[in-house]
Amino acid sequence: MKDLLATVKSNVSIAENIYAITLTLTGPLKNISGGQFVNLSVGEGAMLLRRPLGICKIDGNDLTLCYQVKGKGTKKLTEAKAGDKLKVLLPLGNGFDLNEFNNIAVIGGGVGIFPLIAAIRAYKDKNFYSYIGFRNKAAVCLLEEFEKSKLLTVTTDDGSYGDKGNAVSAYFSDKNRPEADVIIACGPPVMLKVLKEELEKRNFNTPCYVSLEERMGCGIGACLVCTCKKSDGDNARVCKDGPVFNIKNINL
Amino acid sequence: MADLKVKICGVELKNPVIAASGTFGFGREFNEVYDISAIGGISTKGMTLLPRLGNPVPRIAEGYGVILNAVGLQNPGVEHFISNDLKFLKDKGVTVIANVAGNTLEDYGKICAKLDGLVDFVELNISCPNVKAGGMAFGIKPESIKAVTSVAKDSLKSTPLMVKLSPNVESIVLNAQAAQSGGADCISLVNTFTGMVVDIERRKPLIANNTGGVSGAGIKPIAVRMVYEAAHAVNIPVIGMGGIMTGEDAIEFMMCGAGAVQVGTANFADVNAMPRIIEEMNNWLDGHGIKDINEIVDTVKLN
Repeated sequence: MKDLLATVKSNVSIAENIYAITLTLTGPLKNISGGQFVNLSVGEGAMLLRRPLGICKIDGNDLTLCYQVKGKGTKKLTEAKAGDKLKVLLPLGNGFDLNEFNNIAVIGGGVGIFPLIAAIRAYKDKNFYSYIGFRNKAAVCLLEEFEKSKLLTVTTDDGSYGDKGNAVSAYFSDKNRPEADVIIACGPPVMLKVLKEELEKRNFNTPCYVSLEERMGCGIGACLVCTCKKSDGDNARVCKDGPVFNIKNINL
Repeated sequence: MADLKVKICGVELKNPVIAASGTFGFGREFNEVYDISAIGGISTKGMTLLPRLGNPVPRIAEGYGVILNAVGLQNPGVEHFISNDLKFLKDKGVTVIANVAGNTLEDYGKICAKLDGLVDFVELNISCPNVKAGGMAFGIKPESIKAVTSVAKDSLKSTPLMVKLSPNVESIVLNAQAAQSGGADCISLVNTFTGMVVDIERRKPLIANNTGGVSGAGIKPIAVRMVYEAAHAVNIPVIGMGGIMTGEDAIEFMMCGAGAVQVGTANFADVNAMPRIIEEMNNWLDGHGIKDINEIVDTVKLN
């Protein structure tokens, strides 16, 4: 991993309160797996903590991160303009390892779709079946990234776009649901919790990997700020042991 | 290139920049970014006799120029450190400072005995909550500081004892003197300031533990004042810390009487903070024609 000084190429709103920032790095990004993240500086001096953001797209030397404006840091990040320099520590975390799978069910909710996009882009020859949910029509974004999926179901909580409902219920209620070798998922904690409950209730044997989010300090596994609970009672570090975990091995 | 070597309690450090406890783990993760043998020393993650899982999340929040943390001493236990991490750090050639905490006086005695002779220093963390001392942390009152220091000192036959002082106190001078009279070989300060940050939309503290320790650039002037006061109240070495982000910040602490410094929060803002700070210190010294870092220690003259 390296801390690089990147140049902002663009920073635009792609949905209500959601931005995509593209950073140009000095060289191409190699050996990055979908689901890994970066720790981005948003305003040195006043804001000492970096913001951990999942990698969404990599095109040559360009790295695109998408973020929801949630607090002071992400609000500040919206002010970054083309040509500005930002420090970015990358790549961090483990990412989705899909090498041994061919048929992959993708369940994403809200801003959780971004690391899933990176996973889809990283494995060009696999079959993806995508179920993605948003709060409402205004939150819908980057659908084009899911178009290569063999199947795409889009839901909104209020039915203002696609099917009314959410991504997890869309997956489990799909009568034509294709057989998947693996499920990958990312979304709000409540979505992942329901997903785990549904998998257990239905005795699903399909392995399921989820990407978690947590407030972080160092981002590299040293400070033990971003822990999650493992099913064996021990702690895991979201930044270093994750952010992708087998859903069986963690408590949600 | 100035000479950056310093000597604390007879232990030579290749430079005075030490990683502060809790921000650097046991060095392995930062060693993936740069060779940690470049830094002067590492104060380990705070350790207890038995493993601890720590507090619920979120454990971190931010204020203007500061961060707050409440990790709650999550650690794998001292035995795990001795069998898994100590050799790695020794092989790296960095000065190893074992930061330790306990719930009782006996705990402090036992954990010090386990580490005696194995590490370069033991650093007593005496500002952790939930300890037996009339409901008060060991590190608040001079009497309990002296008591815990002397218990630790009695268990350390060959390893120097560093006592880390809390700034959440009535008198840093009396507490520094209490550590000295309890047998501390050196003191380090300041630990974090207790603080709170509230999410006004949810009307709840951002940190699950409600309060957390405040650190970072914003606390530096208070830390500098306390280090100056403590350094002029005792005749044992002082290790200064609190918001050091640059080489100039480190030099400021040393001019106020610190023989070495610790760097914590800066490691989060800049993963390469410590090698950068060492380089900046060297550049400042070179720029001022100073050949030896020790020449600047305790050179501030009050107005």
